[in-house]
Amino acid sequence: MNKNILYLLALITAASLMGCEETVVLDSEQVQSKIVIEGLVTDQEKHHYVKVSRSGEFYSNGNFSGVVDAAVTVEDDQGNVFNYVHNPSGMDDEGYYLSEDVFAGQVGSSYKLTVTVGSEIYTATDVLNPVTAIDSLEVSLNEEEYDDPEDEGYFYEILFYAKEPQETEDYYLFKFYRNDSLLLDSETDVYYANDDLLGESIDGIPTAGFYKLGDRARVEMYSISRQGYIYYNDLSSLLNTDGGMFTPPPANPRSNLTNAALGYFQVSAVVSDSIAVE
Amino acid sequence: MVPTNLTKFLLILSLVWLSQYSQAQQKYTINGYAKDAENGEELIGVTVYVNELKVGTATNVYGFYALSLPAGDYTLIFSSVGYKTVTKQVSLTKNETFNIELPVEVTSLDEIVISGDPIDANVTDITMSRNELDIKQVKKLPALFGEPDIIKTIQMMPGVITAGEGTSSFFVRGGSADQNLILIDEAPVYDPSHLFGLFSVFNADVIKDSELYKGGIPARYGGRLSSILEVRTKDGNNKKIGGAAGIGTLASRFMLEGPIRKEKSSFIISGRRSYADLFLKAAGQENLVHFYDVNAKVNWKHNNNNRFFAALYLGRDVFNFDDTFGFDWGNITGTFRWNHLFNDRLFSNTSLIVSNFDYALEFDDDAQGFNWTSNLQEFSFKEDLNYFINTRNELEFGYHLTYRRFSPGEISPTSEASIFETQEIQNDYALDHSIYLGNEQRLSDRITLSYGARLSIFQNVGKSDVYIYEDPQDNIDIVHKDTLHYDHLENIKTYVNLEPRFAARFMINPRSSVKVSYNRMVQNTHLISSGTVPIPFNTWSPSNYYLKPQLADQVAVGYFRNFKDNTLEFSVESYYKDIDNVTDFADNAQLFFNKDLPTEYRQGDSWSYGLELMLQKKEGRFTGFASYTWSKTERKIDGVNLGRPFLANYDRRHVFNIVGTYDLNDKWSFGGSLTYSTGRPITVPAGRYKYGDTYQVDYISERNGYLLPDFHRMDLSATLTPRKNKDRKWKSNWVFSLYNAYSRKNAFTIYTRVQQDDEGNIINGDVKEARMISLFPVLPSVTYNIQF
Repeated sequence: MNKNILYLLALITAASLMGCEETVVLDSEQVQSKIVIEGLVTDQEKHHYVKVSRSGEFYSNGNFSGVVDAAVTVEDDQGNVFNYVHNPSGMDDEGYYLSEDVFAGQVGSSYKLTVTVGSEIYTATDVLNPVTAIDSLEVSLNEEEYDDPEDEGYFYEILFYAKEPQETEDYYLFKFYRNDSLLLDSETDVYYANDDLLGESIDGIPTAGFYKLGDRARVEMYSISRQGYIYYNDLSSLLNTDGGMFTPPPANPRSNLTNAALGYFQVSAVVSDSIAVE
Repeated sequence: MVPTNLTKFLLILSLVWLSQYSQAQQKYTINGYAKDAENGEELIGVTVYVNELKVGTATNVYGFYALSLPAGDYTLIFSSVGYKTVTKQVSLTKNETFNIELPVEVTSLDEIVISGDPIDANVTDITMSRNELDIKQVKKLPALFGEPDIIKTIQMMPGVITAGEGTSSFFVRGGSADQNLILIDEAPVYDPSHLFGLFSVFNADVIKDSELYKGGIPARYGGRLSSILEVRTKDGNNKKIGGAAGIGTLASRFMLEGPIRKEKSSFIISGRRSYADLFLKAAGQENLVHFYDVNAKVNWKHNNNNRFFAALYLGRDVFNFDDTFGFDWGNITGTFRWNHLFNDRLFSNTSLIVSNFDYALEFDDDAQGFNWTSNLQEFSFKEDLNYFINTRNELEFGYHLTYRRFSPGEISPTSEASIFETQEIQNDYALDHSIYLGNEQRLSDRITLSYGARLSIFQNVGKSDVYIYEDPQDNIDIVHKDTLHYDHLENIKTYVNLEPRFAARFMINPRSSVKVSYNRMVQNTHLISSGTVPIPFNTWSPSNYYLKPQLADQVAVGYFRNFKDNTLEFSVESYYKDIDNVTDFADNAQLFFNKDLPTEYRQGDSWSYGLELMLQKKEGRFTGFASYTWSKTERKIDGVNLGRPFLANYDRRHVFNIVGTYDLNDKWSFGGSLTYSTGRPITVPAGRYKYGDTYQVDYISERNGYLLPDFHRMDLSATLTPRKNKDRKWKSNWVFSLYNAYSRKNAFTIYTRVQQDDEGNIINGDVKEARMISLFPVLPSVTYNIQF
């Protein structure tokens, strides 16, 4: 349950030409900036990244200052330590750290991130769970969208097929790409799932957004831990809160990071598939 | 065992005490029912005053009174607001029954001559912290979409706070919305809202009487912490067939009532349905919304000693979107009552009550189709007795047994191809026994006491599995250490609580009094919601292995004063309420379809205090009230807001209301209301950060640390009663309403989003803005009513 009820109420009132929304200025007290950490280790052999930044004021312009002098390491449960260096290519944004060496995360292993900023130490641990395979993707014409497309020519959707292992407790995060750019139905959408209510066959679930002829669609599926599921679920609630009228009061997502840092350190197995829209 | 001993103790106490009175001097009893002379409806709260002895009583909620007096000649005065006073000479030499009929006071436009009644309930009645609603006045007041709604008037009472317009929730003296016990013909209504709260389920056409208890709650009521809203429907005219109909802007109503056997039995049936969807359908809209209500009641007065009533309410909201997604919810309640006189002084009401609340969501789709249902059922047996011992003592006692079944959720696929599998959150069952005993005792002309207690024995029973957690407060790493299995009706957990109730009234002079009260209330049904306003998709849970009963202690003191021959009633009350184990939930709690819900429970302390002023005028051309409330409500709960105290999300420091109607002549009358309150607290961001490539995330620091802007609104109405009514069998009137007359944009809530233009296209994905939603601008409406 998120803002939907508010939309419904708005719909009822709008049906009689009422309901009104306007931008207001919050003069709320702004607190000291907090450390924000975001990191991802996958089972792919590559340079993995960690981003360290600071939060800003609610009305800031989005240039959150990257932290350039942090010490960042990831250690697996075998005792292997991977050092990260700040923006080695000089091509990335400030606060962007890459592992010195390429490495691939191992299914079943846990990884511990340590970020040291000045005298403050932030750590997080996550475990790499297996992920099920994507059986196939399918292109399908969405008739409603075809009749009345929001963007001209964009009325194909991508259907997703997979088998959900029933004997394990699994959590997933999805990313959808249209010609290599991330695709969200709404800028507050987070695509994640647990398998509590899922049967084995995942047959023909539409992914986000619509495609036109000639587009290339790609789906990435990440395994996440229960902690990761909770983080993304809380993040989604926060991004879509109605301010606490019908929904719970907004709250910071529960993270695996210590020392009250914001963000999340995610460890995932990842599979992907792509299909041309033709 | 504690309960048995307590029961015995109370029983012995009452027996000893009754026998003491049976030895008193020979007395005779006058009893009977007070009725409306026009339609035969029993009248509640009619004062019966014995002029010679300067003592009196009032009819109970079933219209019955009894007085025990020594032999002699008496003048009995029956009076009630809105009715002509009736005087009766009695020569008492044996037990007598007087069923009295009070003629309706025809509102005369000449200034009312005041009868100078010696009795006025505001000052003399022992009850405090109680508000009655005059349904006739509610109908003349301005109403949203022209639908008169008692809940909207209740929200204007002193000590009552609303979370915003367009909601049917109300918050009494620091209590949350689920701490109100809302009864229709004694059956609880679990969700009193239509259209997410735009209207309440109460159809004004069938309401006879409604009252709100906020403190000093009598021992016969229990189960919720903060208030009792008792709504009683009409029994139906037992003299002649009649009816009413109304066509409003949003809904239409129809009501028919009449005798089945004259003076013996009668019926009433009424229906209401919104019809915006019919217009929308005609306009080609596929998103359809409607609600309806049905109230039906029959009664049969076998003789003066045996009367039977059966009442039914059912109502439902139905939403449909493009034929693929839909949901609906509704209440059904049924009450069967038997009023019986065991003897002249022992009045009994036996009730069988059933209440059902359920909701369903359905999504019709090949791959993602599902059907989700949830329901809650309650079955009660209640035996309530009034023993009119003498003019100094009125005893009430009784036994209530309730069985509840909670089905929090079941989900099933709607097609073979659906990704969903059938899943069910297990049911909860509870048994609730209560016995109570209370006495109202007139110590002297000045002092009246009311004292009693209610013993509640609440059992969470099987069939159920209870998970034992490694750490019940850890909602992230949930580890089941063990599972306890309980069989059908096997006791899982028993909670025994004694709820003392006390009230006292001291008359300073015939026009003013001081009252004090204390009550303890226990609540064993908990709403699983952490929003400010409950929604129909919330579920309820009994007190259980993990969830402890909520306990409230409230003390209140008040000064009551009447002016101008009782036409002006004034009161000032102050209260302090302390709640233990108030049910709340962890930050980020997952309350839907969570089989490990106990890990989200967080119970703690809540406290509230306030001052309430009320000035009311009940008779004359101008009637109405003005109320002012100052109050503060806080909570402190481990695991919520880092364990720091925070303001309740329905806390408002100042609330000021004026409600009034004015009869200009026999053609026009006018109504108006004005409300002003300080904003309620909400949680807003104290900063922002970016996560991933896209997400602009608010940083939250303090729960409820920001106040919404002040709330104020004026509504106006005019009622036109055509003069030609006099010459015809049916009467009609027009009610014109202007809701939010000066079109104030009152904040409903505030949320944040990335900067967008009016069409919702993103202007700048790196900048966020706060958006305030307000629901209603100025809103005119017309309702046409007929009565026959």
